[in-house]
Amino acid sequence: MISKSLYTAFILLLCIMMIVSCKTRRGIETVELPVPSDPTISFRVWFKVGSQDDPAGKEGLAALTAAMLTEASTQENKYSDIIKKLYPMAAYYSSAVDKEMTIIKGRVHKDKVKEYLDLFIQAILYPAFEEEDFNRIKTNTLNYLEKTLRYSNDEAFGKELLYREIFKGTPYGHPEEGLIQSVKSITLEHVRNFYKTHFTRDNVVIGIGGNYSSSILKKLKMSLEQLPPRVTRPVEKPKPRPINGLEVVLVEKETQSTAISIGFPIDVLRGDKDYYALWIANSWFGEHRNSSSHLYQVIREARGMNYGDYSYIECFPNGWARQFPPANVSRRQQIFEIWIRPVLNEHAHFALRAAIRELQKLVDNGITEEDFELTKRFLKKYYLHYASTTDMRLGYKIDDLFYGIDDHLKKLPEMLDMLTLDDVNSAIKKHLQYKNMKIVMITKNGKELKEALVKNLPSPIKYATPKPEKVLIEDKEIEGYRLKIDESNVKIVKADDVFVR
Amino acid sequence: MAVKLFSLACVFIFVLCLVISTTAALYGGEIFPYEYHKKVLDNGFKIIVIPMESEGIVAYYTIVRTGSRDEYEPGHSGFAHFFEHMMFRGTEKYPGAVYDSLITTMGANANAYTSNDLTCFHLNFAKEDLERVMELESDRFQNLSYSEQAFKTEAGAVYGEYLKGLSNPFSVLFEKLMDTAFDKHTYKHTTIGFRKDIEAMPTMYEYSKSFFKRYYRPENVVLLVAGDVKPSRVFELAQKYYGGWKKGYVSPTIPVEPEQRGERRVNVSFKGKTLPILTIAYKSAVSFDPGNIEMAACLIMGELIFGETSKLYNNLVLDQQRVQFIEADFSSSRDPALLTIYTMVKKESDISNIENEIYKAIGYFQKHMVDKKELEDLKSNMKYSFLMDLNTPDNVAGNLAQMIAMTGDIDGVDMLYSTIEKVSPEDVWKAANKFLRKEKRTVVVLKGR
Repeated sequence: MISKSLYTAFILLLCIMMIVSCKTRRGIETVELPVPSDPTISFRVWFKVGSQDDPAGKEGLAALTAAMLTEASTQENKYSDIIKKLYPMAAYYSSAVDKEMTIIKGRVHKDKVKEYLDLFIQAILYPAFEEEDFNRIKTNTLNYLEKTLRYSNDEAFGKELLYREIFKGTPYGHPEEGLIQSVKSITLEHVRNFYKTHFTRDNVVIGIGGNYSSSILKKLKMSLEQLPPRVTRPVEKPKPRPINGLEVVLVEKETQSTAISIGFPIDVLRGDKDYYALWIANSWFGEHRNSSSHLYQVIREARGMNYGDYSYIECFPNGWARQFPPANVSRRQQIFEIWIRPVLNEHAHFALRAAIRELQKLVDNGITEEDFELTKRFLKKYYLHYASTTDMRLGYKIDDLFYGIDDHLKKLPEMLDMLTLDDVNSAIKKHLQYKNMKIVMITKNGKELKEALVKNLPSPIKYATPKPEKVLIEDKEIEGYRLKIDESNVKIVKADDVFVR
Repeated sequence: MAVKLFSLACVFIFVLCLVISTTAALYGGEIFPYEYHKKVLDNGFKIIVIPMESEGIVAYYTIVRTGSRDEYEPGHSGFAHFFEHMMFRGTEKYPGAVYDSLITTMGANANAYTSNDLTCFHLNFAKEDLERVMELESDRFQNLSYSEQAFKTEAGAVYGEYLKGLSNPFSVLFEKLMDTAFDKHTYKHTTIGFRKDIEAMPTMYEYSKSFFKRYYRPENVVLLVAGDVKPSRVFELAQKYYGGWKKGYVSPTIPVEPEQRGERRVNVSFKGKTLPILTIAYKSAVSFDPGNIEMAACLIMGELIFGETSKLYNNLVLDQQRVQFIEADFSSSRDPALLTIYTMVKKESDISNIENEIYKAIGYFQKHMVDKKELEDLKSNMKYSFLMDLNTPDNVAGNLAQMIAMTGDIDGVDMLYSTIEKVSPEDVWKAANKFLRKEKRTVVVLKGR
């Protein structure tokens, strides 16, 4: 009996060892991008964890944990000493947490990689989790949520709130930085436990690019093999609540101009044929920070109402600070988003009408053959700017892994050759619409604007300067364009009450 | 600066360049890792070409050496920036919509920006479009044409840009800082301009034409091309498309700033919520000059006293956590400007204590020589930061634009790093005593509601 038990235990142990050793033999997945002509080396270590993994009531935990790795002391060095050591190398490492991804990234000149790599590895493997670092990072996060996000950049505020409104009640439903009350409740113990659970060997992918040697990669791999093995249960893809008509949130604050964000979920991701079709349609309609954008032409160029007007089929964080989409913000659920940069408060209703009217025209009519051909020609070269550095190309390769596709950057021009106008217009009809959308407006007088929206009051626009007859005729159509907005679908909130809990 | 021809190959190419044009020349430096080629056309238009590996991408920067500094006429602040907008309105040959459409067809990434000392128009595109771009760009710089209506409409977009900035406490603070610190010099207004001037822009159509005529001239503009290009081809096309551009630059009469003789203080209220921001700015006496050791010492001094490896940063940001950040901008401009320290204070009641901590830190550097290792680490940081940022044609050109605005060339890059290398602890000590003096400073405190 005893021997049988021992035998069973032995077999069991052997099985466990085999599993472990299989895991070890297989090793950590690695994305490589050797570029011998690049004098630098880029690292992107991807942990399959993001703000979607924040426990309820502890929103912001993933971001705080990642920051405790890259903006804090390690068991080897105080944070101030790490800064001093990195300083002469002009090297850095940092973390970026999105809904589904956490990236620990860094870049160093090849002359300095040996010293650098030790610090980089220590940050991932041996964070010190010291109270003083935690207090500093947590206080800074709270300042961002309480003040910067809500009072320093109305556009950022509106865009972030749009995502919250669309994904409320799902794991995507809060800013990566968390919510004010939840961040306040996070302790260092929560951070330690989150790190233990999610920063594991089974959750990591190594990305390395540039002028690295095999020994550098080997060292990084062997080091990260020391992370504990643990498979975490993946979070389910978020299912946003259906939107019923035009659902409007008016955020009241002292401001002279109104920032507008509009959006709804779409079921299209990289790799889908329709993604590339929508890529073309969206580029024509609202290419980011590009005067070729149709929305830009209508609202800024012809009317001079604001600084720019754009649209998106994938999340594009910090759009005011970058020209091209960032890497490693891959998500299983995307939205279609329109971003109207601040317009005078008295022009807000008109601008909203103008944007939705253009969207309706896009959905109802599609784009023309001429626009299709022009946009294809534009994108055929424009996409070359998406990833001009080794670091960005490495980021794209990691995103390919996320989406399970071969080479997004290679596929983009191939799809331009393959897609027809019908493909594009069918995709527009299938995925875009203008009747069920979330609208966020950061404005001064919510009550007045609500009344105008709900009663569908005309919104004639007065310009400080004369405009061509053609524009004035179209203005008449826009000022009376019907937006069906039920009173029950409009809520007014104070800026102070947003992102609290 | 000592121009160094660093290989036989370079000499060979140099000779080839001489064959192509007697004014084209090849240069290479000790720090700057790329060879570059220059040519000046008869009309004074300078072209600098930096060939580099780039997978067929070319960065094309047209640097107008006019910025908000040049807006010396009362009531016309913000015009350089406004004019940056107007440059996208097209010409008779290529009206704005046609220009946009052609740029779109090329898949080019085109944009522009304005600062105190320059207006920069930049495009990134595929190498096969080089000639088309040169044709389009040369056309708008020589033949810009826009209606009064288009002019007035664009004024609305500029006003929108100004209003957008009002929601940012740093924009509000910076506007007040410049206005307070300067009496006469045009640095008194920020690049976007005084609000009253922006509001009046729609009435200045005629003035805008004079602005273009005076400043958008070949002697005042430098073309910088980096990426997958052959210098000889760029020079040939430059001659073809820019060769007929008429001279006519009229230099502005920039008022000289009188010496500041006493501390200035001002409080600013911000309508939103923010942690208090304390800003201390010292009136500088040096303008940008890559060979000037005092200027290099200032650059270094800002980092040594307030940078992230400084004792002050360690105390206030990391240990005591009394400020969210502290940083200094001690860089120089075309004319003497400000050496500025910014910090975000966590408790309003602590603002004056933090201010005193800053003065104590300055006082320390006025009494003691900086540690040599700290100085060498900083120099290493500056060198590697610069080198690591030169990884794309756009980054190379973007990093050099300011140097061109201030000196008209990029030769100063090597000289600047060579000067930085020479800065000694004594130079830093001297700079701290010469520039960081109470009577030269302006203190601005911004508080939220």
